[in-house]
Amino acid sequence: MTSLHRWLIVALTTALAIGTPLTLRALPASDSTSTPAERLDQLRASVNEPYSGYVESLGTLQLPVADELNELGPLFGERTRMRVWWNDPTLWRVDRLTATGEEDLIRDGNATTQWEYEGTKITHTREPAVRLPRLSDLLPPELARYLLSDVDAADVSALSSDRIAGRSALGLRVTPSDARSSVERVDVWIDEASGIPLRLSLFAAGSSNPALTSTFLDFAPGASSPEVFDFRHPRGSTVERPQVVDVADAANRFAPFRPPPTVADLPRSPARDLRGVAVYGDGLTQVLVIPLWDDIAAPLRNQLLDTQTVVQLTQGPALSVGPLGILLTRFLRSDGGWLIAGTVTAETLDQVAIDLRGARITPPQLSNS
Amino acid sequence: MIGVELRKMLRSRRTWVTILLINALPTLVGVLLAVTDLGPRPGSGPAFLSAVLSDGTLFPLAAVAIVLPLFLPTAVAVVAGEAIAGEAQAGTLRYVLARPVGRTRLLVAKLVSVVVFVILAVLVVALSAYVLGSFLLGDQPVSASVSGTTLTSGQIAWRTALALGYAVLSMLGVAAIALFLSTIVESPLAAAMGALAVLIGSSLLLTLDAANSLSPFLPTRYWLSFIDLFRDPILWRNVVRGTGLQLAYVAVFLGAAWAHFTTKDITD
Repeated sequence: MTSLHRWLIVALTTALAIGTPLTLRALPASDSTSTPAERLDQLRASVNEPYSGYVESLGTLQLPVADELNELGPLFGERTRMRVWWNDPTLWRVDRLTATGEEDLIRDGNATTQWEYEGTKITHTREPAVRLPRLSDLLPPELARYLLSDVDAADVSALSSDRIAGRSALGLRVTPSDARSSVERVDVWIDEASGIPLRLSLFAAGSSNPALTSTFLDFAPGASSPEVFDFRHPRGSTVERPQVVDVADAANRFAPFRPPPTVADLPRSPARDLRGVAVYGDGLTQVLVIPLWDDIAAPLRNQLLDTQTVVQLTQGPALSVGPLGILLTRFLRSDGGWLIAGTVTAETLDQVAIDLRGARITPPQLSNS
Repeated sequence: MIGVELRKMLRSRRTWVTILLINALPTLVGVLLAVTDLGPRPGSGPAFLSAVLSDGTLFPLAAVAIVLPLFLPTAVAVVAGEAIAGEAQAGTLRYVLARPVGRTRLLVAKLVSVVVFVILAVLVVALSAYVLGSFLLGDQPVSASVSGTTLTSGQIAWRTALALGYAVLSMLGVAAIALFLSTIVESPLAAAMGALAVLIGSSLLLTLDAANSLSPFLPTRYWLSFIDLFRDPILWRNVVRGTGLQLAYVAVFLGAAWAHFTTKDITD
C-alpha cells in the first residue's frame, strides 16, 4: 500500500465522519402543497396532542434586572436546554438541563412542583390565574399557543418545508397587520404528521435576526408513561409552599386595583379570576399590566433609568427589548406604579398607561383563590 | 509490543508523579470543603460538588468533573505527545523500530498505553476521592438522581462506573490528536502544545453562538455530558453523540498518524 493509498483511506474516513451527520440532517423534507390556512388549522388542532423531546431555545433579550423578575433574564436572554414530556396541558414535565444539575417543573392537575437539584429544594404551588413567563413557556408548542392563538388567516403565508429533529416540518409565516404590534413576524414549522410546532422564531420589527428561537432537537409524538411524572420528595430536601407564585400572581390577588375593560383600543382578556392584573389584546399584539408595590417598582425604575436605551415617554421611562416593550408608570402618592409589558409599540405603551389612569381602586382584600 | 509499552509506562516514575499531580486538585478541593463546609453556589461549581457536603460518596463524580476540563486532558496530551516524538528526541526511535514489529503495531501499542494511563488516572482520582469523601465529607446519603428520583445503591454504582468509563472515553480524541502530532514533530512539547491548542480552541468556540453549527464536531463538546447518566430517565442523547465523536477522532487522527508514520523516514 502506497502513501497515497493510506492518505486516501484517511480522507475517506474523515469525509464519512463529517458527512454522515450532515447528510442525515440534509434529508429532503416534504413538498406538501397544503395552504397556509390549512397549516394554521393543523397547528391549532394539535393543542392537546401529547409529545416528548429535547428542546433548545436561544433568546437575545437583555431584560432589566430586578429581584422579583430575576428569572426572566435567563429565560429570554440565554440558551436554554430542556427535556419535555407533555401528555396534556394539565400533565407535563419540563426539565431545564444545566452542566451542573437540573431544574424541573412538573404539572399535575392544578398543582405544580418545582425541583432544584443544586439547592435540593422543592416548591409546591397551585396554578395561578396569571403568572410571569416560566420554563415551560419556551417550548415551541407553548410559544405558538400564546403568540398565534388569535392570528387572522389573512396574516399567514407559507414557508418552505424543513427537516427538524429528523421529521418533516411544514413552514408558516405570520406577519401581523396591526400597526400597534412591535413584532415583525413569527416563523413556525409544524410537524407534518401531528401538527405540533417543532420550531418557532420571533422577530422584532426592523430586525432580520430572531429575538427568540425555540427548536426541538429530538421529538416523539405520543403520550409518556405515568412514571415520568411521579415525583416523590428525595431525602434531605427542603419543601416550600409559597402563598403566591410570583409578583404577577400576588398583584392579581391582593393589589387594590381593577384595570379598565379597554386600553389603547385593546380589549381586556375575558379570562376568569383576573382582578388586579390584566391582559389586553391577543396574538402578536398583547399587553400585560401589573400594579407594582413601592419596594418592587422603585428598584426596577432605577434599573430602567440606568439603561442607555431608555426612552422617557409621557407616562414614564420605557424600554424596547427586541419585540418586547416595557413601561413603568408612577402612582400619584407612592413609588409604586403600573408595569406595562407587551409586544406593542412605544406609542401604544404610552396610550395604555394613559388609559390605566381610569383603573378603579378597590378596598384591599385577602383572597384564598 | 503492547506489553512492552505498558511495562514502560507503568515503570516510569513520571507516570505516577503525573497521576498524583492530577489528583492534587480534587484532593485540595475536598479538604477545603470539609474544613470550611462551604459548597459552591448553585450553577457555579463543577457537577455534583454542591451535593458532596451532604453525601461524600458522590465526591468521585465531582472529582472527575474537576479534572476533566483541564488537568486530565493536559496530562493526556503530554503523555501521548511523548509517545513517538519522545523516542525521536531521545534518539531511540530507530532502535525501537529495529525490533521485528510493524510501525502500525507500535502506534496501536502507544495508544493502548495512553488509554491505560487515562484509566489509571481516572481510577486513582475516583478511589482517592471516594476515601476522602467518605471520611471527611457528608455522611447523609442523598441517593437521588439529578432529577430528584431515588436511586438504589446498585443503580448508583452502575451509573458511576458508566460515568468513569465515559470520562476515559472522552480522552481518546485528545490522545489521538496528540499521537498524530507526535508522529509529525520531533519535540514532545510541541506535540502536547499542539493538542492543547486544539482543545483550547474547541472550548473557546463552544462559547460562541456564531460557532453553533460547528459545536457537534468539537472535541470538547460532550466531555461533561456524563452528568446525563444521573438524570432520570437517563439522557443518552449527548452520551451517545460524545462516544461517536471520540471514536471518529480516533479513526481520523490515528489513521492520519498511521498514514504519516508508516512511510516516514526515521533518522533519529
